[in-house]
Amino acid sequence: MEHDFGAFVAARATSLLRVAYLACGDETEAEDLLQTALERTYRNWDRIHHDTAEPYVRRVIVNAAISRARRRAILNIIPMHSPPETTARAKDPDLTHVLMDALRALPPRQRAVIVLRYWEDLSEAQTAEALRCSAGTVKSQASKALAKLRSALGRETVEGVIRNAHA
Amino acid sequence: MPTLEDEIRRLMADETSRLHAAPDLLERVLRGHRGRRRRARVAAVVASVAASVVVVAAPVVHLTAAPTPGDRTAADERATTSAIPEPPAIDDVPPERTEPATLGDLGDGKEVRHVKVGYLPEGLRWSGWSLDDGDRYTASYNFDGDSDSTYRMQLFVHEDTALQEIADRIQMYRDEEEGEDVTVGDRSGYLVLANVGEDGMKGSPTLFLKMGDRQWAEIIFSPVYVKRFPGDKAVRAELWKVAEGLTSTL
Repeated sequence: MEHDFGAFVAARATSLLRVAYLACGDETEAEDLLQTALERTYRNWDRIHHDTAEPYVRRVIVNAAISRARRRAILNIIPMHSPPETTARAKDPDLTHVLMDALRALPPRQRAVIVLRYWEDLSEAQTAEALRCSAGTVKSQASKALAKLRSALGRETVEGVIRNAHA
Repeated sequence: MPTLEDEIRRLMADETSRLHAAPDLLERVLRGHRGRRRRARVAAVVASVAASVVVVAAPVVHLTAAPTPGDRTAADERATTSAIPEPPAIDDVPPERTEPATLGDLGDGKEVRHVKVGYLPEGLRWSGWSLDDGDRYTASYNFDGDSDSTYRMQLFVHEDTALQEIADRIQMYRDEEEGEDVTVGDRSGYLVLANVGEDGMKGSPTLFLKMGDRQWAEIIFSPVYVKRFPGDKAVRAELWKVAEGLTSTL
């Protein structure tokens, strides 16, 4: 059992870490999310089909990320809509950082939808299953999130940054 | 110029390419797992001992004279060493739900809880997939009834507490001047080509149908399925047939 699980971790951990990071926007928390998710997966390893192990871990990660983000918002420990202070970034905007800040500013569920749909390439039905919601909710959340990202990035901004990057 | 979705994918890849799982991750996971099991065993022992103290100590208190400081029973000993409750564990992980709730076996898919499906497009059958979120539930239909294959039609039913979300979504479409108010027989509805732009296709024709004051249905044809029809009129006609065949048992 441990050998199989070890092989799974070796093969998929980095990919799952990236999902966790995109879902929560913080490297340290992403590592913690991943470890927690893997511990829970290991507890149920004998009941998890190997083909479904990765979706299972992913589901735990995104739901835990949403839960934590909401809890923080409720407790007001960390303002949800304040990206980390990065003066250098503000002076020298980089498209990736703009996107990550925009992602962090999204409500947690919308952020999860974007990550699952566009990073993991899950279908609407698969995303709905991962997030325990209807495909209709996935559609509406994706639509709202894309509108916000489009607005945050802005076609002018996108073009400007791309021009700068190529300059 | 790349689409927004392509740009998002590329930027996510750029942002995460530097991240790699720690080499000792597996070791930490296994250690954490063993630690949790150890804590769980200790908690179980504490709980069982505490329970025995409740049972054993209570008669001692009531049936003996007031004890002197030197008059300690075994039960008292256990009570003093184990009755102090452990602080609750701090667990910020949401409750585990390994499998989503489903509607169970829907058979041919012609009865989805509070809705009867009187007409199914030719060849379609229940895929075996469903989700049950209480006031919102759904089932999908495809050609072979295999839950792993792509859906062709999906039926959502929204009831009571889920109605507000439907109202909000339809209002959003109205605000964006997408879709149109329609009537299906004597029932009102809203027809829209739902599209979040990621499919690279025309989108999913979606018909919202008011089944009653407490219930709406949402019928969706997949972009793949739509390709089988000669045109929008045919798609619309088929959607109407499905909608006309829906009856509420709520």
